[in-house]
Amino acid sequence: MSVPMPFPVSLPMSLPVSLPMSFPMSFPMSFPMSFPMTTEIDLSLLSRRIIIVSGKGGTGKTTVSTALGLAAAAHGRRTLIVEVGPTEHVTPLLDPGGPAAGYAGRELRPGLHVLRIDPFLAVSEYIGLQLGSRGPVDLVLRNRALRQLLDGAPGWRELITLGKIWYLEQSLSPSGAPLFDLIVVDAPATGHGVSFLDVPRVVQSAVRAGPLARNAGLVERLVRDPDKTLLLPVCLAEDLPARETGELIERMRDRVGIAVDRVVINALPARPLPDDLSDIGERLAELPPTLDLCVLPEPPVLTACASYLTSRHALAEHYVGVVAELTGLPLVGLPFVMGGLRQPGALDRISEALLTQPQSPDEAEPAANDRVHR
Amino acid sequence: MTRDAAWDALVGDARIVVCVGTGGVGKTTLAASIALEAARRGQRALVLTIDPARRLADALGIGELGNQPRELPPELHRRLGLPDGAHLFAVMLDMKRTFDDLVERLAASEEARQRILANPIYQQLSDALAGSGEYAAMEKVYELLESQRYDLVVLDTPPSQHALDFLDAPRKLLEFIDSRVVKLLVHPALSAGRFGFRLFQGATQRALKLIERLSGIGFLEDISEFLLAFEDMSAGFRDRATRVQSMLLGPEARFVLVAAPSPEAARNAELFLTRLEATRVPISGIAINRTRLWPGGGAPAQGLRCDDATISEALETDLVRLAEALDPDAQPPVEGRHAALAALAVARQYAGLVQLDRDSTSGLRARARRLGVAVRDVPELACEVHDLDGLSLVAVHLFGSDAPDERSAPHRQEV
Repeated sequence: MSVPMPFPVSLPMSLPVSLPMSFPMSFPMSFPMSFPMTTEIDLSLLSRRIIIVSGKGGTGKTTVSTALGLAAAAHGRRTLIVEVGPTEHVTPLLDPGGPAAGYAGRELRPGLHVLRIDPFLAVSEYIGLQLGSRGPVDLVLRNRALRQLLDGAPGWRELITLGKIWYLEQSLSPSGAPLFDLIVVDAPATGHGVSFLDVPRVVQSAVRAGPLARNAGLVERLVRDPDKTLLLPVCLAEDLPARETGELIERMRDRVGIAVDRVVINALPARPLPDDLSDIGERLAELPPTLDLCVLPEPPVLTACASYLTSRHALAEHYVGVVAELTGLPLVGLPFVMGGLRQPGALDRISEALLTQPQSPDEAEPAANDRVHR
Repeated sequence: MTRDAAWDALVGDARIVVCVGTGGVGKTTLAASIALEAARRGQRALVLTIDPARRLADALGIGELGNQPRELPPELHRRLGLPDGAHLFAVMLDMKRTFDDLVERLAASEEARQRILANPIYQQLSDALAGSGEYAAMEKVYELLESQRYDLVVLDTPPSQHALDFLDAPRKLLEFIDSRVVKLLVHPALSAGRFGFRLFQGATQRALKLIERLSGIGFLEDISEFLLAFEDMSAGFRDRATRVQSMLLGPEARFVLVAAPSPEAARNAELFLTRLEATRVPISGIAINRTRLWPGGGAPAQGLRCDDATISEALETDLVRLAEALDPDAQPPVEGRHAALAALAVARQYAGLVQLDRDSTSGLRARARRLGVAVRDVPELACEVHDLDGLSLVAVHLFGSDAPDERSAPHRQEV
């Protein structure tokens, strides 16, 4: 069952960077990052068949997958978001309280489908397809001993999940056109993400011949096809995510051989103060610690607020430079959205930013450690 | 900040502390801080990380983390206020090496050892394939504890979806060793020299034939050979997996759930709590890492609410007062007014973040209260935590301190 919801087909062109919803009108609240944000649209992402969204846990892979799905559907692509974990995250974001998408999938916006690949169901479907009947499927899945074997055996979940994605990519609608123009995969967190995509190769080196090796080969070719498949790494402008993204891209290039053409940096904080007031923290610190204020906190607290926001902003800019240096790839920055993703318009803003032209950060921005303390 | 019995017990009578939680919440940092606190209390403490946490290695002054524990150099002890007799070690899990060590320990003969190490299934199982790291981590913890060289081992676990596999790893391995399939695969090969599927009747025979047909026989031969080679050490393996499991569920193990104040991370933490409860693993405490707290404690005033754009009369009075203080020589203080509005803006922005963190964790906190589990906030600092001072500071927030400590003020100015 689907719940169609209105989604703007043409996206608004203005791109405000990360701001709390409302602030006194007399004071401008938005100061752009020095990282070049652009409003120039780049639709090259949408020409792929499969985009695998990967990154360290907590960087916002689900957010990016969802926003990408929304953007693709808004541009008229029949889009499928594939979830691979044990719990669904995309469906609750797009349809809070609604039923799970499950293995059969749901259309959550016009042209935007979501499904979750359950490895056991995928195995069952695979066997059924191979044999042309469902009888033996139950024979395998109901057999306790075999379920135990599957429970204990590593690797097959990844392989069957990728196999199902391959199958979905190949699927045609009754008219003969591909069933989906674009498949967005919300992949597991980095460490397991590499293993996830590496499994077809590993299986082929362990299994010498036969249908399993053949199918793994098909999946591997799809993953390595740069015209069809793209890895979209998601990162935060922070230390560990930046490093791990560098390592992820290196390993993905070396071991998996998948195409990568940009890095998404999620949740970039806005510049908290205009340049002429960047010393406001110090000026407040010089005031007497009690000013007999009634709503505003006392100067030391104001100083702490200013110092937190400016330090965090400086750190974010520093790590944008680090990511660019470690990966050598152009970047796409997404704004931090105050108030969560479920508030109206939040995901649309991220979708819009996701489709902007990837940028190389300002060369004037030093990535060296001396600018920000260690 | 006060001490808390539940947290104190982590570095008191526990021998193993397992930090669980979703990825990206700072498990490695918190695990290191817990080990540091134990060392401060005079223990020989070790932190076992899953990631090549280079910054942690740098912070601890031990070059590179490897499969063998390395100790914090003594010259750093004084700086950390570590007492005599305290030791702090760090080690990184090397899955492949841990499995190889285990095979070495359990193999009956040199020949059996070689056969296992050369088997393609073993090589993939121990190295490349996802999901086998969990057992290796437990094995490593057991080995470290068994060595009697450490009072406390603090373990940083792989990210969430797999962290429950991790609690389940010894059981799964035992079930796998004992499963009928393994017996079916191993024994016919023993008796018939090749697959003796004909020896077996009924559904299992048919199912095995199906697998054979769908997978290609080479795969099953490799599995069979691996299991054969494995068989002579399976008793040792079973014994070990049993002991690893009882260590995990025993009285000397503690679990800390590490969460973060984002809506996603808090929801994941709640899911995690549900599953941990279902497996009856007792949680000693929940650490909410990088919470934005209001400086000086308490909550921001109502008039500072982020969604309130208006300037009330009371706020206007404040702004006038602040503008005059900032720009005492001008009349009217035009520049001061501008600066006062900037101060209001940062206060509102930060208040918004504080509120955001409070809202996103309210469900988790309520849940923890019902379960009687202690929750600790580790405030987000203006700086990053990847040096010893940062780790000390996190430890102070986790365990509290008897004396008020100037280091515990949020937003210590560092940049």
